[in-house]
Amino acid sequence: MLGPNGSGKSTLIKSLLGLVRNHEGTGTVLGLQWPREVREIRDRVGYLPEDDCYIAGLTGIEAVAFMANLSGLPKTEGLRRAHEITDFCDIGEEKYRGVEAYSTGMRQKLKFAQALVHDPPFLILDEPTTGLDPDQRDAMLRRIRTLAREHGKSILLSTHILPDVKAVCDQVVILARGKVRVYDSVENLSKPAEPTLNVMTYGKKDAFLSGLDKAGYTVTAKADGTLKIIGTGVDQVSSVWDIAAATQTSIRRLVPAQNSLEEIFFQAVSAAEHP
Amino acid sequence: MPVHDLGYRKWVGKRNHQLIRPLFVARSGITLIWRRRMLKLLLMVAWLPIAIPAIGIFCFEQGVTDVTYRNVIIRTLQGPMERPDLATQMLQDPVSVRHEVWSTLILGFFRVPQLYSMVLLIGLIAPLLISYDLRSKAYLQYFSRPLSPNEYIVGKSAVIWFFLGMITTLPGLALYLLGILLSPEISVVGMTWDIPLRILLASVALIVPTTALALSYSACTVENRYASFAWFATWIMGSVAYQILTNAPRMGRGRRNSIDMDVDTERWLLVSPYHTLGKVETWIFGLDTGESSVWPAILILLAITVIGTLFVRSRLIARLSV
Repeated sequence: MLGPNGSGKSTLIKSLLGLVRNHEGTGTVLGLQWPREVREIRDRVGYLPEDDCYIAGLTGIEAVAFMANLSGLPKTEGLRRAHEITDFCDIGEEKYRGVEAYSTGMRQKLKFAQALVHDPPFLILDEPTTGLDPDQRDAMLRRIRTLAREHGKSILLSTHILPDVKAVCDQVVILARGKVRVYDSVENLSKPAEPTLNVMTYGKKDAFLSGLDKAGYTVTAKADGTLKIIGTGVDQVSSVWDIAAATQTSIRRLVPAQNSLEEIFFQAVSAAEHP
Repeated sequence: MPVHDLGYRKWVGKRNHQLIRPLFVARSGITLIWRRRMLKLLLMVAWLPIAIPAIGIFCFEQGVTDVTYRNVIIRTLQGPMERPDLATQMLQDPVSVRHEVWSTLILGFFRVPQLYSMVLLIGLIAPLLISYDLRSKAYLQYFSRPLSPNEYIVGKSAVIWFFLGMITTLPGLALYLLGILLSPEISVVGMTWDIPLRILLASVALIVPTTALALSYSACTVENRYASFAWFATWIMGSVAYQILTNAPRMGRGRRNSIDMDVDTERWLLVSPYHTLGKVETWIFGLDTGESSVWPAILILLAITVIGTLFVRSRLIARLSV
C-alpha cells in the first residue's frame, strides 16, 4: 500500500483493526464482517505499527510473550512461542535486555516478532523496514517473502520505500487524499500501455534510426540516449537485430520496456492533487 | 544465533478465552511493579501497623477472663479511642462489646495507617501505569490485540487492587482471624461473622474510587511525576481545606474540643477525600454516630469512580484516533 504522507494509509489500517471509529461503510476481513467483528479480526491479524511503541520495563522476550498471552496463547506456550519467533526474527541474545535500551532497528524487529507470535494468517506491516540498516532490511524483506510464499500468509505492506514494494509485493494499492487511486498487480502495472522495446547502442545511431524509420517503427529518444521502439513486442526482436546488422550498429542493451513504480506513483499522486 | 534454528513454524493450539485476557495485563503490571525494591519495602512497612490492633484484640480477648487486661482495654477505650460508653459496657459485660471493639480496632487500622499507606502506595505505582503507556505508545500494542479499552482499564486497575488488597483487605482479614484464634470459644464466629464482610466492603469502598481517581490522573499526562503531584495534592489539599473550614469557628477561642465548641465536623466532609472515605468506612463498620447522612459521601465516591473511568476511557480512545 503506497501513498504520500497524509493519504490515509495508517487511518485505513487503524480502521481495519477497529482502533478508530468508522462512520460508514462495511466489508469483510478474512471472511469476518467488518466493522462488526473487529475483535475477531484483531485476533487473526498481526499488526506492526509504524510508531515507535513498546511496553516500558519489559525485556524483549517478555514483550513478545506478553503479546502472545494477550492474543490468547497460554502462559507457557506463549513463552515458548516467543523464543521461537525471536529466533526467527534474529533478535538473538538481545531478547534478554530491556526494550527501552533497544536501537530503532531492534525495536522494529521486536515489533515484527510481536506481530507474528500468535501465527496470524494476515499481517499488516506499517513501514516495517524503517530504521533498519541495509543488511537488516534485506533480511526483513526475506522474512516477509518467506512468510508470504512458503507459509501462505497474506501481508499488507504499507511503505514509502518503492524498492521494498518491488521486492516483495504482488499487488499494489496507491492511496492519495483518502481514496484508492490505483489497484492492480505489480506485473500489470509494469506493462506499458503498448509493447515497447528500449534499445541502447554504441556509437552513432543515425543509420539505425533511419533503418527503423524505413521499416515503419515509431521511435523516440530518451534523454539518456535510450531509444524507445513503440508498438514493438519481444516477438519482433529479431527484425530489430536485422536492422542493427544491416546498419552496422552495435546494440549494447535491448530490453522490453516496463513502467517504473515511481512513475506510476507520481502520476497517481499528481492526478489526485491536480484533478 | 540460536543453537538450532527452526525457522518459522505454524502454531496450533487452544487459545484462552477473551474474558481472561485482561488478567495478563494485570499480571504484567504486577510483575513490573514487584521488581521495584522500594515497593517491596513499602509493602512490608505497611503491614507493621497491624501490630497495634492485633495487640488490642489480644488484650481484649485476654480481658474477657483476666481483669488486668480488661483494665488496659478500658483505659484505652476511655482515652485514645474516645469511647467511654464502650468502656462502661466492657466493665459490665465484656463479651457483649466484642463485636464493637473488634470493629473499632479494625476500622482504626483502616482509617489511619492503611489510608496513609494507600495514598503513598498508589502515589508511587498508579502514575506509572497509564502515563508510561501513553508516553511509549504502548496502547497501540495493547489495542492491536482483541482487548477493549474497558478491559485494559480493568487490567490496569487490577494492579492497584492487588497491591491495595495486600495492605488493607489481607491484614484486615488476618486481624479478624487472629481475633478468632485468640477467642476462648468458637461461638465467637457466630457473634462476629459479619466483620469479614464489612472488611471486604470497606476495602471495596477504599480501593475502587481511589483507583479510578489515580488512573484518571495517570491518563491525564505522559509525565508520571505530574500525575503523582496531582494525586498527593488532592489528599493534602483536601485535608487542609477540611481542617481550615471545620476549625475556623473556634479560632481564637482557646484549645477546646469540637464537642464543647459545638463545631459541625461533618459539614465540610466532602471537600476532603480522606474524610469522605472515613465517613463511608465508619458507616460500613456500623460505627457511624454522625448526624449527617452517609449518602452524599457514597455518591461522591461513586461519581469519582464513574467519571474517572469514563475519563480514562475517553483519553485512550482519543489517543488511538491520532
